[in-house]
Amino acid sequence: MIAVEPQGPDAPPPAEPRPRPPESGVVISRGTRVYLRTLAPRDLDLLAAWVDDPFLERMVGSEFLNAYKHVWDKSPAFYEAVLTDPTQVVLVVEANRGWDKPVGVVRLFNIHLLEGYAFLETIISDPRAMKRGFGVEAGKLISYYGVDVLGLRRIEAKVYEYNVLSMNSLRRNGFRQEGVLRQAGFDGERYWDLVIFGILKDEIDAQRQKDKVHLPLESSEGNGREPA
Amino acid sequence: MSAGAVAEPDARTEQAGDGFTRVRLLAGPLTAATAPALRAEVRAAIDQGRTALLVDLDAVTGVDAVGVAALLEARRLLEAHTGGTLVLRANPIVCRALKETGTLTAFALWTGPGM
Repeated sequence: MIAVEPQGPDAPPPAEPRPRPPESGVVISRGTRVYLRTLAPRDLDLLAAWVDDPFLERMVGSEFLNAYKHVWDKSPAFYEAVLTDPTQVVLVVEANRGWDKPVGVVRLFNIHLLEGYAFLETIISDPRAMKRGFGVEAGKLISYYGVDVLGLRRIEAKVYEYNVLSMNSLRRNGFRQEGVLRQAGFDGERYWDLVIFGILKDEIDAQRQKDKVHLPLESSEGNGREPA
Repeated sequence: MSAGAVAEPDARTEQAGDGFTRVRLLAGPLTAATAPALRAEVRAAIDQGRTALLVDLDAVTGVDAVGVAALLEARRLLEAHTGGTLVLRANPIVCRALKETGTLTAFALWTGPGM
């Protein structure tokens, strides 16, 4: 895919097209429960359904999903825009076993490569996939990816004060609560506090050292909805 | 694009014919799916003692954060060697991505025709 050529007068002809990534995306990271792959055009159909899920809107309030719905009007061009956005990395979460379609999306956004920090967002969309540790592992894998590949030294996440499931997931991955943005979130009816979590590279590395298989979350640990 | 970033194209051009190795990316995006190949090529070139690289991004159609990170890593690896140098041949798409990520001035760029 890449040619290394000595510089000389017989310069090579213009570059030929590179084979496009497979339609199913390219696997970036694998865990015991889930693996992460790049976004594929067909994933837009799933996003189109997720953006209209009021539960996801309330729990995550994703700017990513909102942009797809309200800015891009669910246009197919959103795929290329995401693929070539130098400030974010969007990866699709696939369960290793038991699911025939993606269970969510995890992304690093507002990436500051020189300063070494970014923000994390994890969306587990399938209600049956909640409280199984999928979101925890997806967040962990992309955090490792952020440190190893992007050179991040700090990752931040914001959570609505009522989203206990996400807060517990972040804590499981070693994130620390760093503060509260008072009444910074609006769910259409009232204002809510946003809880700020952060983790540093050393803490991510320490988390990696004690890496182990996580058992499914206990029902008392989160407020994710029950399977239909 | 800032003027400072392309202020030395002539100097780079002179050096280009003097021991530089050109790493040419094929047409397509430089993203999470494709950046590992660039990383591997740069590491292989360094292992072979080629520490003056021209990375030709003229045919790149898009760059994400992983692509920019791969370029930053290439610069870091090369600059760890005495005389190690990285020059990018960047098209407007690449320049825009570098600008958006605040990394434009981190690279020596060649935006002229050919190399």
